[in-house]
Amino acid sequence: MPQLLPLSEDALPCAPDEDWADLAETIARYVRSRTSRMDLVEDVVQETLSRLVTQKQQQKIVSIYALGFRIAANLLVDHHRRDRRYVGEIEEDQASDAPLPDTVVAGRQELNVLAGALAAMPPLRREVIVRRRLHEQSCATIARDLQISLKAVEKHITRGLADLQRALAPIRAETDGR
Amino acid sequence: MIMGQERNPEEVARWVNRLDQPTVDTAASEAFDEWMRSDPRNRDEFADMQALWHSDALVDALREVSRDENEAESAVQGDHFLNRRMAGWMVVGMCALLALFLAGPMFFTTTYRTGAGTGQSIVLADGSHVDLSGNAELAVRMLPWKRDVTLMQGEAFFDVQHDPDRPFYVRSDTTKVRVLGTAFNVDRQAANRVIVDVYRGAVALEADKASPRVLHRGERSRVLNGGISTSPAIQLATAQARPDWTAGWCEATDVPLAVLVAKVQRHVSQPISFADQSLATLPVSGRFRIAEPDRVLVAIRDAYGLDVRQNGSAIVIAAKAQSPIAN
Repeated sequence: MPQLLPLSEDALPCAPDEDWADLAETIARYVRSRTSRMDLVEDVVQETLSRLVTQKQQQKIVSIYALGFRIAANLLVDHHRRDRRYVGEIEEDQASDAPLPDTVVAGRQELNVLAGALAAMPPLRREVIVRRRLHEQSCATIARDLQISLKAVEKHITRGLADLQRALAPIRAETDGR
Repeated sequence: MIMGQERNPEEVARWVNRLDQPTVDTAASEAFDEWMRSDPRNRDEFADMQALWHSDALVDALREVSRDENEAESAVQGDHFLNRRMAGWMVVGMCALLALFLAGPMFFTTTYRTGAGTGQSIVLADGSHVDLSGNAELAVRMLPWKRDVTLMQGEAFFDVQHDPDRPFYVRSDTTKVRVLGTAFNVDRQAANRVIVDVYRGAVALEADKASPRVLHRGERSRVLNGGISTSPAIQLATAQARPDWTAGWCEATDVPLAVLVAKVQRHVSQPISFADQSLATLPVSGRFRIAEPDRVLVAIRDAYGLDVRQNGSAIVIAAKAQSPIAN
């Protein structure tokens, strides 16, 4: 288990006792499935927790889990960028397009399953997810452009995500059991 | 253990979607923590689904399925294409027209707005990354032949995906930056004052009243009233991969106080104003922690002998009566 920074008790008289171990385990699970680089996992989890502890001392955090996931996601983006920069050092522009080879292999099977699940969805649901995740459009924009209600957009996203998760479950079980 | 109780992945998905929204209200945030703490299965399943939603594999899969739907692209990429060149071109032309017609809505402009203190990291459809400061507004339009971005307000750091056939333009008023694949920062300090810093690669810079100019890694240009001035090696710490502000810092050398205050304003919701407009041009220097506005305001107050007051819901910067600084 990652070690924690000492948290002074009197600084936070009314803060609830956070279960840092649960939090660490949850963030680690997220980071493990985001990266193929196992050496990164511990770094990202440690850094996330230490930033959470610092922030918690400075201000009231409304959702520690939500903030934790956001910090971890940002750290992963930073690491990814740094990796790309090292690769791209020699042939600047050409190299930056190519994903790292190990990411390609690991992602291929997952990609096929996801593409299959997406293809099997009703076209409107697929369209909503393409717009939300690929084109980063807001739910309000999607509702307006496709002339459906905001509720319907949310419904398509949640049902679609559930479909994708169900499709992935068999491969996930396989990797977990190694 | 999964057999014990019927699990509903849609409940998990609802949380993923809710936290993915630009603003999440306090009640929902607290409810989320409560839900996560209540059951280890909630935590595991949320972590899995959040990872899925963020995964590159999902983005690639979405790209694949939306490409399949777009016949024009598959025709262009077909392998047998060279054999029947003429017929091929005609098909491409027709499909391109059809695709334009069908995919019209996809080319609509997406606008990103951030409030004070809430910067945003955006991944564009082409894979380029944009870090947007607080109090900023950015419009993005992705076309098959070019990528167009307009910065209406604030500051943005771009890490652009290389694509020689699809130039990436960033405009802010009359300032126009053209790139192929590189990393650079655009700071719109005022309507007539835009600063461009290049962190990797090179960009071509155009402004109203100056001839276009190429900016290389480590160079900074100021566009003031339509004219361009390039600082030779401003030492923007090119060892650094990204600008200071993305980590909450601002390095200033003889910068008008108003510019620093505008940067601080990207982090606070109360409006900050000057009691006396002559203070706006006061040159300031230093390294400021703009992510902590209080510290900056105290630093300015102490270093320049100013008075920083809370006036109702606003913050007012004024000259101290006995201070010799404010001329």
